[in-house]
Amino acid sequence: MSRRTWTRTLLLATLLLGAVHLFAHEEFRFIGTIARVQSAQLQVKTKEGQTIAMKLNPSTYIHRDKQEAKVTAADLKVGDSVVVDALGDNLTDLLALEVRIVPPIAPTKPK
Amino acid sequence: MPSASKLLKAAAIAAAIAGLLLIIVVLPAEYGIDPLGTGAALGLTRISDSTPLPEEAVAPADQAALTPVAEGPVAHYAAEYKSDVVEFDIGPYEYVEYKYRLAQGATMLYSWKASSEVIHDLHGERDGAPANSAESFEKRNRQQASGTLSAPFSGLHGWYWENPGGDPVHVKLTTAGFYSAAVEIRMDHSRHPRVLSSANAPPVRTTSEVGTAR
Repeated sequence: MSRRTWTRTLLLATLLLGAVHLFAHEEFRFIGTIARVQSAQLQVKTKEGQTIAMKLNPSTYIHRDKQEAKVTAADLKVGDSVVVDALGDNLTDLLALEVRIVPPIAPTKPK
Repeated sequence: MPSASKLLKAAAIAAAIAGLLLIIVVLPAEYGIDPLGTGAALGLTRISDSTPLPEEAVAPADQAALTPVAEGPVAHYAAEYKSDVVEFDIGPYEYVEYKYRLAQGATMLYSWKASSEVIHDLHGERDGAPANSAESFEKRNRQQASGTLSAPFSGLHGWYWENPGGDPVHVKLTTAGFYSAAVEIRMDHSRHPRVLSSANAPPVRTTSEVGTAR
């Protein structure tokens, strides 16, 4: 095989492995308030105080609690309470699958 | 422009290389599946073992003792008969899973009740199956349920309860049967094995607030 064919072969092998890796992602749930939102990125401050950044894409299902109708990222406002299910390898590489806008969540009473 | 035969050949070689790397590197590192022993040799299986759970706590125990031996309508077990009572406070929109290790055919009696309706999924994770491949037995919103479960396969069997609302929900579960271990799986994916008592001893009763270790 020529050098070019070998390069293509290796590139294809890399892509195939990447496709396999997609299935290794884990799902995470975050509950908190929106700290920052842009068209393709969302930051959520969790009730534990951690700020988690995640990507939004056209497939991200954004909706209001108990309503199935999809809304857009423009409907997300800083300070909104949200429940987010996201997919990723770890907390620094996340894609939001579902963003549910929920009523404000009362802080847990200390015991 | 390469010919179709060259492209096919390149694709076949690429698939073979990807397959080899999958078996040698990806499967041992991601899932702990190591058919060639390369994961252990390269130290990759340690990556898949990085969950915080002391896995041995819910690892398969003496399967033979936990497997029922049928004599007509009666099934005998060599293993100890156990019981468990556990309670959870599930915060708004949070979820928790609680599962027992059962051998194929082993039976468990259960009863649980929540302070309000929860999203519920009674399911099992087959031993040796990849992560996220749970098999659901009953999936619907409920506030309580009682019954028996005969394990269709050896593995972890139990419940997923999700609080669909903004107020905390309290769940109390009571079980008895021939299981060898129990584990609570919290929303942060952390696993917390639980010490089980013999059914002949008074049950240990605890309350767990999801996401907060006590």
